[in-house]
Amino acid sequence: MTWTIVRKEILANLLSYKFYVVILLAAVLVATSFFIMTRDYKERLADYSLIRPKPGEPIAVNPPNPLSIFAKGLDEAMARSFEVGPTGISVRAGQKSGNTVFAFFPTPDFLYIVRVVLSLVALLFGFDQVSREKEAGTLRQMLANQTSRSAILIGKWAGNFLSLAVPFLLVTTLGIAVLGLDPDIRFSSDQVLRLGLILALTLVYIAFFLSLGILVSALTRRASSSLVILLFVWALLVFVLPNLGTLVARQMVDVPSVRALSEKRQQVWTREVLLRIRGVGDWASHIKTISAENDALEADYRVKFDRLVNLSKNINRISPVASFVYAATEIAGTGIGEEGAYKSEVGRYKNAVLGKRLASPDLKSSDYPAFLYRYRPLGRVLVRGALFDTAWLAVCGILFFALSYFVFVRYDVR
Amino acid sequence: MIRTIVRKEILGNILSFRFVVTLALLLVVVPVTTFVLTNDYLKKVADASLRQSEIETYLRSYGHFNRIGNILKAAEPPIPFNTLVRGLSADVNMAEFDDDPLPVMFPLVDLVFVVAILMSLVALIFAYDAVSGEKEDGTLKLMLANGLARPKVVLAKVAGGAVTLLVPFLMSLIVGLLVILVHPGVDWKAADWGALGLITLGTVLYVMLFYALGVFISARHHASSASIMTSLLVWVLLVLVVPSLSPYIASFLSPTPSRIQVEREAERLGDTERDDLGRKLEAERMRELVARYPVLNERLSEADQKRLMVRDPAARAAFEAATKAKQGAWDEANRVQGDKIDAVRRAAAQKEEAQTELARTISMVSPLSVFTYLATDLSSTGLRDEAYFGRISGVWDREFWDYARKKIADLQAKDPATDWWNTAIDMSDRPRFEYREEALGGRVQAALPGFVLLLGYGLVFFVLAYVSFLKYDVR
Repeated sequence: MTWTIVRKEILANLLSYKFYVVILLAAVLVATSFFIMTRDYKERLADYSLIRPKPGEPIAVNPPNPLSIFAKGLDEAMARSFEVGPTGISVRAGQKSGNTVFAFFPTPDFLYIVRVVLSLVALLFGFDQVSREKEAGTLRQMLANQTSRSAILIGKWAGNFLSLAVPFLLVTTLGIAVLGLDPDIRFSSDQVLRLGLILALTLVYIAFFLSLGILVSALTRRASSSLVILLFVWALLVFVLPNLGTLVARQMVDVPSVRALSEKRQQVWTREVLLRIRGVGDWASHIKTISAENDALEADYRVKFDRLVNLSKNINRISPVASFVYAATEIAGTGIGEEGAYKSEVGRYKNAVLGKRLASPDLKSSDYPAFLYRYRPLGRVLVRGALFDTAWLAVCGILFFALSYFVFVRYDVR
Repeated sequence: MIRTIVRKEILGNILSFRFVVTLALLLVVVPVTTFVLTNDYLKKVADASLRQSEIETYLRSYGHFNRIGNILKAAEPPIPFNTLVRGLSADVNMAEFDDDPLPVMFPLVDLVFVVAILMSLVALIFAYDAVSGEKEDGTLKLMLANGLARPKVVLAKVAGGAVTLLVPFLMSLIVGLLVILVHPGVDWKAADWGALGLITLGTVLYVMLFYALGVFISARHHASSASIMTSLLVWVLLVLVVPSLSPYIASFLSPTPSRIQVEREAERLGDTERDDLGRKLEAERMRELVARYPVLNERLSEADQKRLMVRDPAARAAFEAATKAKQGAWDEANRVQGDKIDAVRRAAAQKEEAQTELARTISMVSPLSVFTYLATDLSSTGLRDEAYFGRISGVWDREFWDYARKKIADLQAKDPATDWWNTAIDMSDRPRFEYREEALGGRVQAALPGFVLLLGYGLVFFVLAYVSFLKYDVR
């Protein structure tokens, strides 16, 4: 019986105005986003080939991550070029463009399209599942037969999920296949796996919003009020909560501003240089002092900053949308955790370069070790939070579905 | 009659479920946002003053002209309006190793965000069934069966709807402002209140525009379920998609070399190409000189050269001419390449500016962008303020270096051999950079096209709604 309802739902969707509008919108947006982000990635790749260090240069650069086409996250920050000098790490090539309009609006990557548009689409598929059929009177007729309420609910959920997920997956896979034809973009097998996980995560995300839609639909008598509630809930979950959480966390954790930190560094460096000019101590010992003090400042900042990040992550997780973003960016290797790991690696590289510098008599060398960053393996990424976020998203989805079952069982279909 | 319908619209809205939800949502979100932003602002003020005192300490110990380049920089302090609008200051600092990546993941909420995203959505939620819903209920037929002109109905609907929308917004804004006013640390000036008034006016235009759009869409559909779909589709495109795409479309239409490419090109021009040119010019000039002074052709060691110069005035003249020619050749090379580098940088900056302008223009297809620019420009947190800050910090920079030159001249007057570059100097009388927001007049001038554009969009949508409603089949 469930299967009949699934079929009925899919057919009803295929014949509806909503379906075409929504699927067309999603397809156009996904295609546009792929096109734009691929261009952006290629431009960054071209820049990388310019700033790539020559052998022996003490410069740390990470090539842009091809998965940033899907989830850009912090990739631009991670693809900057850091030069290790006698006094510490400085940014050699940072910002790509002076076009400030980029700073005003969010990046339209695949993640953004899914996070904002697809969630809305899923709600539009779910919002009238119960209330509309009640208004139309078909719910009564269905239940007058031998169909159980659970079969109806499961059938509705599965039918709508399939009619949303299948076209979406088709469009996305097609887009990815076109990307695969591009000779400049190469995905390693690990990255293909990660991409598959991101797509799977997207499905969990859609399922979450669909369940939410059905739940509210079962809680209301009229489809229009169900839609109004859902739009408000959606705006809260997608826009307000995750964005406000970071600000709230800042109220609770004191983190020095980045500028203050760099001024402190400047102070250390000037003090040591002047001591050296006055003839106190030798260069090597001053460099060691500068490095040690900078490391202490850095460590202090990191501790506080990590506390801020963890707190704001946890506050933001009230909205499963934030969990989705965290999990997707971490899996793509462009998330906050990866960026932290990358920074520590650059820090280690700085110490290696410094060691080499101090070992040579004139404190210079033309043969510094090369910098190579290996992304954290997928297993560690999953254990360090991505799995938790996915599970949280899934649990919320299941919870909403279970709740909609309880509500629907008691639903007055007359 | 119009007043009756306006009253009916207002009452109908106020009694509706969506009004209650909107009011509750805004009454929570706006005050919480202002509360959090106010605390954030106070924290930033504390951080800025702490940094200022650190800088003073630094200057007392290390006030050498060689050591202050990275410390004495013009910095934009937090401004009182940051308690409502964050603007571009939320931008991420990419120039330092330690950056703060949190805002990249989730842009932070402020009043502009609340209006631009939430209020536009709310306006469409209120308007989507203004026509199609009444048709479904059958009340539209009844209304028009009386001697009621259609223009009056549509006018009253837009007016009544917009009024009911603004009530929850203004209420929440007032509560938010109370939060700000209660804080003793925040000092709002008259100009800030003026700017807030104008931003509120912009909000009114923005909300009415979306309401008119919603009525237009509603009058194009016969079922409210279809009109909400179209409304949401249009909203997603106008509010979420167009602004985000615009800078990318602009970079496609008007490409600029990346900053990295420009810097590499400048390095090449100033390094290898300059050396080549210098060598070439040197060789050319030396050829002429060698023809005139054959002595230059002899390969002499430096000591021999010196001896010869003492002995023979003609040789002396030759060698001096050679040194001068070489110096001249390299000066020339430096000048030529320097001009080229300037030209490359200027061209890149011009292209960047053109691209930014294009992106801005494209994004203005969306009322969200128009409102965002308007509100950030008025609150001096936007693009205009960035340019303004660049100008005033340039003025301060020149002032400071005039001061520095005077100090150096004083030092040299006392002791010509002094190493002024590395000598500690009392800089307590230096000209200090004080950021003063641009006068409101200039900001208003910048925001004027935005107002006109919002009004224009509103009128277009209203006319469309009007025409569609005149032709609407109410049966």
